[in-house]
Amino acid sequence: MSIAINQSRLRLYLPALPIVALAFLPVVVLVVLASGEPLSFGARNWRIFGNTVALTALTVGGAVLIGVPLAFATTCLRFRGAGVALAALAAPLAVPSYIGAFAYFAATGRGGELESILGFAPPEVRGLFGTAWVMTLYTFPFVLLSVRASLRRLDAGLVEAARTMGLSPLGAFLHVILPRIRGGLAAGALLVALYTLSDFATPAILGLDTFTRAIYVEYNAFGLSQAAWFSLQLLGLVAVILFFESRVRTARERPGRTLRWTPSLAFASGLWSAVGLIWLSAVGLPLALFLLWLRREGVSGFDLATLRHSVVPAALAAVFAVLCALPLARAASAGRIGRWMLRLTSFGFGIPGIVMGTVLVYVGLRLPFIYQTTAMLVVGYVLRFLPLATGSLREGLDRIEDNMTHAARSLGASPGEAFRRVSLPLIFPAALSGAALVFLEAMRELPLTLLLRPTGSETLTTRLWQVYEAGYFGEAALPGLLLILASSLAMLLFLRSERLLGLVAESEA
Amino acid sequence: MLSIHQLQIRYGETLAVQNFNLQVDTGEVMALVGPTGCGKSSVLRSVAGLCKPDAGQIVIEGLCTSGRQFIPPEKRRTGLVFQDFALFPHLNVEQNIGFRVKAPDAVETWISALGLELHRQAMPETLSGGQKQRVALARSLAHRPKLLLLDEPLSNLDAALKMELREQIRDAVKQAGVTAVWVTHDQEEAMTVGDRIAVMREGHLEQTDTPERCYEAPASRFVAGFFGEGRFIAAQPKGDLASTVLGECRVIHNRAAGQKMDAGESFDILLRPHDVDMISEDPGNATIISHRFEGETRRYGLRLDGGERIDARLNHEQRFKTGARIRARIAARHPLVAFPLRLRS
Amino acid sequence: MNRRKSLQLLAAAGLMGPAAVLRAATDASVATVDDLPLISGPLTLYLGRGEGGLYEDILDAIRKRNPGLDLKVRRGPSSALANTIVAESGAGVSRADVFWAIDSGSIGRVVGDAKVRQLPSAIRNLLKTDFRFDAWAPISGRIRTVPFNTERLTREAVPKSIMALPERDLEVGWAPAYGAFQSFVTAMRLLNGEEATKAWLRAMRPKARSYAGEFGVVMAVSRGEIDLGLANHYYTLRLKKGRPAAPLDLAFTRNDAGCLLNTSGAVLLSDRPQAGLFVQHLLTREVQSYLSREAFEIPLVAGIQSPVGLPAISDIHPPAVDLEKLANLRPTLDLLRETGVL
Repeated sequence: MSIAINQSRLRLYLPALPIVALAFLPVVVLVVLASGEPLSFGARNWRIFGNTVALTALTVGGAVLIGVPLAFATTCLRFRGAGVALAALAAPLAVPSYIGAFAYFAATGRGGELESILGFAPPEVRGLFGTAWVMTLYTFPFVLLSVRASLRRLDAGLVEAARTMGLSPLGAFLHVILPRIRGGLAAGALLVALYTLSDFATPAILGLDTFTRAIYVEYNAFGLSQAAWFSLQLLGLVAVILFFESRVRTARERPGRTLRWTPSLAFASGLWSAVGLIWLSAVGLPLALFLLWLRREGVSGFDLATLRHSVVPAALAAVFAVLCALPLARAASAGRIGRWMLRLTSFGFGIPGIVMGTVLVYVGLRLPFIYQTTAMLVVGYVLRFLPLATGSLREGLDRIEDNMTHAARSLGASPGEAFRRVSLPLIFPAALSGAALVFLEAMRELPLTLLLRPTGSETLTTRLWQVYEAGYFGEAALPGLLLILASSLAMLLFLRSERLLGLVAESEA
Repeated sequence: MLSIHQLQIRYGETLAVQNFNLQVDTGEVMALVGPTGCGKSSVLRSVAGLCKPDAGQIVIEGLCTSGRQFIPPEKRRTGLVFQDFALFPHLNVEQNIGFRVKAPDAVETWISALGLELHRQAMPETLSGGQKQRVALARSLAHRPKLLLLDEPLSNLDAALKMELREQIRDAVKQAGVTAVWVTHDQEEAMTVGDRIAVMREGHLEQTDTPERCYEAPASRFVAGFFGEGRFIAAQPKGDLASTVLGECRVIHNRAAGQKMDAGESFDILLRPHDVDMISEDPGNATIISHRFEGETRRYGLRLDGGERIDARLNHEQRFKTGARIRARIAARHPLVAFPLRLRS
Repeated sequence: MNRRKSLQLLAAAGLMGPAAVLRAATDASVATVDDLPLISGPLTLYLGRGEGGLYEDILDAIRKRNPGLDLKVRRGPSSALANTIVAESGAGVSRADVFWAIDSGSIGRVVGDAKVRQLPSAIRNLLKTDFRFDAWAPISGRIRTVPFNTERLTREAVPKSIMALPERDLEVGWAPAYGAFQSFVTAMRLLNGEEATKAWLRAMRPKARSYAGEFGVVMAVSRGEIDLGLANHYYTLRLKKGRPAAPLDLAFTRNDAGCLLNTSGAVLLSDRPQAGLFVQHLLTREVQSYLSREAFEIPLVAGIQSPVGLPAISDIHPPAVDLEKLANLRPTLDLLRETGVL
């Protein structure tokens, strides 16, 4: 077949190629770097590997344990204020996990903030279990939301049919409900794993040697080969997760009538306490702590330039990410090769920030004109968050049926005019939300910023890190609160565009 | 106005359209009809320039295009009305209609002609299906196309709306005086909207004729079956007439290529349900095997004693019981269409 | 007493704000800021972690005096910045004009492996004679100490030898990720040898609690969380200034790595005149006495009083260690990792 409009398919692929090549660059650089030195897998390496895997396993386990029952409760139970409960349970997504880690670090243990309030010192949250606890608090909503989505697609009729065929409630759960939510559960759990593997600051603050922390230590000692070797191992783990993620199939059924039960009053109040406790642990504590510090400290120690240094590169990254995403998204909607291109670039989101940072520092030292410039930082952000923009844009492009551009052309518009007057205005909202997502994610990105920022420009995140390292916690108040604000906006966008699940669904396409 | 010569369109291995020739006169509405997948949309899209033909020529008012000399869609001045309307969702009704229109009059004309005055500022998503299609039509017409192409314009609408909109669209097209090709899979729609009908099947044209001729003198068994019900029964020539088990009748031999008949040879004639009449009679020549009440009419299924099955549609007052013996005969006064025996198409 | 409150007290008692830094000149025998020409033009400083904002005050004061100076600061752990400078230098990239590090180990690494500028004699001669080097300028001195909790321990119970520490049944706090601690271990390696150091680390590990920084160690000692800590002297003095009643005091070992005298220092990495001028600012009477008075660091130019609460250096008996040799950090890090301390 030779359809005239689609004949430009090749022309759609070509502009996407350099972006794909660029997105794949980090892996190439890592291999080059790691091959610079004979690699060993010593006792320390095993310990780090063990810590990383254990932390991931514990976090996934914890997230499933908390997320699944609460997904059931918020979906299938009829109780007062269910909407508020759901919002409270999704709220931890609005707090970057390192903020949580920071809060727990400052609040718990002897001499922590909580001691002066409670009169006794709660056990300190540190090490493997402490880190797993904090990571769980901030990642379980991934499981909650994806299982909820599966449950909402599940038609109550199925369960009722199973019951009429003689299945007990437990049997119905095992044989009807579980197989239907398995995809959602797996998707959520894998997202948690991905998030945990790439998180740098949480284990670093709470003193657990994971790959990300070890990479930072090695980077600081400029043991770039060793850092690259750790990075490759970490990427291996990420690849395993991404592989499983690509095999997850979430059922795409039309939403039916949702299962609903009305719980007893006692059960409902128990549920409310659980929700309250989780919210307090994940959101209440850091929020209270930062507000307390803000009241004590005021805003005097805060330099407005910090905000500017956060906002400007993030905004630039947002613009460039969308510009780069445009050809990619167009290529992806043109055909299979394009979708593969998109797949390759979405690997960037799986590359932990600390790894991306190490790679780009290495690249930067070979390209002095870009080293330690805002441009470098922006490149890092774009590579890392490009998939957020492409995802948004693809949704936008999906809205434009071929027939709309065909209609425009049959009315006499040239391809350029059709793109300008029809496609562009239609993509615009999607591009805007993609840009906003990239902007907010870039604002809260820590390790990449730490490594790539130009000298003299402290951002909200690096300021927070500095304050942590110097132990002068009070000054974290304003940066911390501003970051929570930025993250809340990001989460709202994220949930609105359902990217959370889209990310998973996308790898399925 | 539009002439298509030896058009061929290929999708990979399969030939979607072949040996396709069609002439459409100025001001004429040509209904291009055929079952789903027969290639009619491909023809339309290649006329619009959305699909490049592999061979053949398309001449739109002297503008000659082919696979080699391809003219992009925007240079052809063909208006296209889509089955999914393809309204620009970010523009309101007025802006959609006036997309590239220089003269505001044209927009006004079609807004009022299609009764869209109250919806000028409405966004497409707020409109009903019928309104959307009227906007789409107004948009095409306002851009003064030399040729209007309608791709199943009614297929996304519900039945009640279809009837009404069918008239409205045809009236508007006639008012504009524009030449039109109207693609549909619905034979009834084709008959009501087309000045002429082009019937397609598996990538080629079966017949191009007026609706009446297509019905009364189908060029092939396929066309015969496509427009209305019908059964075939064997007949022998008897002078100018034909003789069948149901009596004698006048015949016309269809003139489609390759279907010439030798004199004196037996043939099949097409018998539509209302061509048949019957009376209660035992032994008679047939048994009633089914009965369906249709309101004004009743439709009976008959098994002739020779084993053939035919249908008869009678006035609702004429009641017969299933299983009753009857005598059936040909009631039609007009000549029936004869088809050669073996070359079943 | 919580962590935060002690910091507040510290701040109230100690910090006088940036304006005060360059004002408190008393002794006329040392160069004062007023003798120096104004610095102007761009200057990039790699600053090995400012101490609780005190270094920031100095920078602010310098900025305030020199409105024409466009000072950009990159902050990070001294060792990390040293490695950055070495890597940059290796790649032929030059970004920093001055490197100001809190430990001489990092300085030594830069002096040894990166392209640095010789120190003009005008700057060298500002320093006490013991502290004159060709390629770098010591800025302030700090001494390794053993802060101990006076409620849990008497001074006599603190061992006089750092090597004897593992034998005592004491809870110890340390900050292994901190550059000054790593320099201390390097000094031990130089003084006692690789094997003895490894044995010492192995023996200490089960008794020691790790903290992110040494201020954390000292606070933990004051809270009674641990019996004693290993930290630079000034953390204790700063905490004591804010809370004179805190059950905390300083002990010193004798003639071993436990009482190593280390210095912060500055290296010139470019030929820009403003770089040298900046270092000269750090060696003025005003900055030096501020460092001594507020940061409790040991001044290294003649004629400035030592910090209150610190015995005279002559009474302490620090070991003789070539400060530049402290730069050989890699074996130290390997050792720390091998023994599971880091």
